[in-house]
Amino acid sequence: MKLKKLQAFFLFALFLTPGILVAQTAEEIITKHIEAHGGVEKWEKVEALKIKGRFTAFSLEKDFTSYKTKCGAYYSDLYLGEQHVFEGFNGKCGWTIDPWQEIEYARNINSSETNVFKQKAEFFTPFLNYKKKGHKVEYIGKENVDGEEMFVLKLTREDGKSEKWYLNTKTYLEYKCEAPWVDFAQPVPAEMYFDDFREVDGITVPFFIERTFWQRDRITQIESVELNPKIDKSLFTMPKRKEISKLTFMEGDWDVKLEFMGRRGTYRERGTTESCIKFASTNMLQEQISYENGFPNNLSINFTYDAGTKKYRIAAFNDFTSTFDMFQGELKDNVLVMEDTQISYSNKPNATRMCRQFTYTKIDNNQFTVENKVSTDEGKTWKPQARLTYTRKVEDTLSKK
Amino acid sequence: MKKTKLLFTICALLFSALLNHAHSQEAPNQEWNQFRGAQRSGSTDNVDLTSFTDKEPKLVWKKKLGDGFSEITISGGNIYTMISERKDSITGDEFIAAFDEKTGNEVWRTRVDNMFFDTFGDGPRSTPAIGEKNVYSLSSYGKLSANSKKDGNTIWQVDFMKEYGSKIPRWGFSSSPVIVGNNVIVEVGGTDSRAFMAFDKKTGKEVWKKGEGIATYNSPVHGKINDKECIIFANGRKVYSLTTAGDTLWTYNSPISNPTGMPIVFDGNKIFISAVRNPGFIVLEVNNNKANEISRGTSMKNDYSSSIYHDGYVYGFHVAALQCISVKTGEKKWTKRGYGKGSLIRIGDQLLVLSDKGKLIQVKATPEAYIELGNIQAINGKSWTAPSFANGKIYLRNLTEMACYELK
Repeated sequence: MKLKKLQAFFLFALFLTPGILVAQTAEEIITKHIEAHGGVEKWEKVEALKIKGRFTAFSLEKDFTSYKTKCGAYYSDLYLGEQHVFEGFNGKCGWTIDPWQEIEYARNINSSETNVFKQKAEFFTPFLNYKKKGHKVEYIGKENVDGEEMFVLKLTREDGKSEKWYLNTKTYLEYKCEAPWVDFAQPVPAEMYFDDFREVDGITVPFFIERTFWQRDRITQIESVELNPKIDKSLFTMPKRKEISKLTFMEGDWDVKLEFMGRRGTYRERGTTESCIKFASTNMLQEQISYENGFPNNLSINFTYDAGTKKYRIAAFNDFTSTFDMFQGELKDNVLVMEDTQISYSNKPNATRMCRQFTYTKIDNNQFTVENKVSTDEGKTWKPQARLTYTRKVEDTLSKK
Repeated sequence: MKKTKLLFTICALLFSALLNHAHSQEAPNQEWNQFRGAQRSGSTDNVDLTSFTDKEPKLVWKKKLGDGFSEITISGGNIYTMISERKDSITGDEFIAAFDEKTGNEVWRTRVDNMFFDTFGDGPRSTPAIGEKNVYSLSSYGKLSANSKKDGNTIWQVDFMKEYGSKIPRWGFSSSPVIVGNNVIVEVGGTDSRAFMAFDKKTGKEVWKKGEGIATYNSPVHGKINDKECIIFANGRKVYSLTTAGDTLWTYNSPISNPTGMPIVFDGNKIFISAVRNPGFIVLEVNNNKANEISRGTSMKNDYSSSIYHDGYVYGFHVAALQCISVKTGEKKWTKRGYGKGSLIRIGDQLLVLSDKGKLIQVKATPEAYIELGNIQAINGKSWTAPSFANGKIYLRNLTEMACYELK
């Protein structure tokens, strides 16, 4: 009898253990929170969202459009004040075009921004399928915020960054969130407030979100939410800089006719080879080509664009010489001229140095020609050396190599 | 006899009420003759406004205006403010200008400087002070000018950058001058103890100089602490109290860095100072020319919009949330979101709040709860300039236009 009483006491004591109590309560709160947002069943049917509305930054209200997908991808076209900003995220990596940072092209986001983009990519509440996403949730307790009682939940994302969410104890909907944010790519703490909850095809979302960090104030006023819209997935991919995009004519697999200058001053055909040109990264086009001209030459040619000099650059690695050669030039009237006359590897003038030039001409979608010339007078006169004619491979002629 | 006495008493009371009413209309604080109004407190007393819902504000006029954030000051039938106008994409002019109070029509304008360009909004930030004959203004590039109220003729001009080695702050010289006796007192941010200076208002000649520090965005307060007339400057991380003759009464090393909002003097010897970064606000108490911090808190963080003190409570924009806090405890009494980084003034027992998008909201100045009495979309676009009030009319300004509404 005494033993039974002791067992009952321990069971009672165990029941009072905060861990168990807390775990049950957090789960229960989240269940009711998701129900308040329309319920798991409804949300399971949502693959993507298209959100349109008005976004206010620096007290200027402008249109915005956002897309979010179930797999955590996100894209938005918005204005920060007068500046047109674009941002995208594929669930792991993101990019932004933000003229406030005086960068006109898309750049990769840093780790603090990645955390922010993960927040932006959520279907409004991070508690939906939070375990599958790798989030952990801890119930902190109840707190009075602006005169209303709130459940306070601490959400820790899989990257270790945590947020504090305040859910109204009456409605179970979010009222406030404290989370790490960014301002000009630098981490700052932020507060978010949610209001004007409306139902859209059975799901409930906040149509008003205000975010403050430091002295900044950002207001999102949603005007429409479209469930499962058609989305062009390329939106999430970091866009190329417009200058490097002009070289996309080179992208692909090519048959290359090789011609070298003979002693009589005319080109002589020396067989063919293959070239594969593709983007090794968003803004770097890379060509792999091999040919023999007495000795084997395996080249890896990298094309980039430098905004400072407003010129294209080539860094070509030739394994025969085992070094990089640099060239720079411009694309004008559909002719790309790259040369090394402005490239110097020595402080001393070298009167005998030989400069090289590559001219890309006759450019169209299926063909282009590269002519190699040399100069011994710093580019005043050029002598042709070789000509490579690229013809795009068609499907059945693609090399199995 | 009794009837006669009663009639006489009623007549006397009515006459007295009429006199009081007339007095309230003509009282000096009914003019908004400098930054934040006659007392530099953003408040006007002795005015009872009817609810917007009972009587909607009537638009008197609305006019296009050159870019700027300078407040509108009102005196003697004219209104004065600072504006700027582009010549092309990189050059332009800054003006002090006078407009007819009744029509909003321009009376005169006088060029005071080059135009100040900024991605957050072009134009001057400082508000002119109106004297008896002249209007005193500080341009974005640090030129203090006196212009005739009558025709705008330049009486004198002092170039702070040229004369005193002052450096232009990020958003231009923004401090608003204050007239005290025969002097115009302003933050200069010059070298060699020329942080603050007084100039003879007739000649522009230097009267006194004091303090070390660069030009910031804070404007001097003129008031009384423990019944002694003083000027309060909050510059960098230091608060200065000076006599009107420029002698130091006390200084205080403040945890509040570079406040833009005006310090508020209340209860005869206390000062509320707030800025957007931690700790948010402090309250100083001054006794025997010594300032001590008696409280601090994070419940009010003013950015560029100044708070209002009323009956033991501070009403202001905590970054972008309109809030009421107890000045004693810092306890938040209520919060209202949705007005962005707005601004506010107090007219009697009401707050007139201008959202950062030009919505004018009438709110009861009470700590009990946020009680809205009505609102109108008064102007549109970026509205960062606090309203001005005089003679029953409210004057509003956004970046590119101004408007006048009759409230009574």
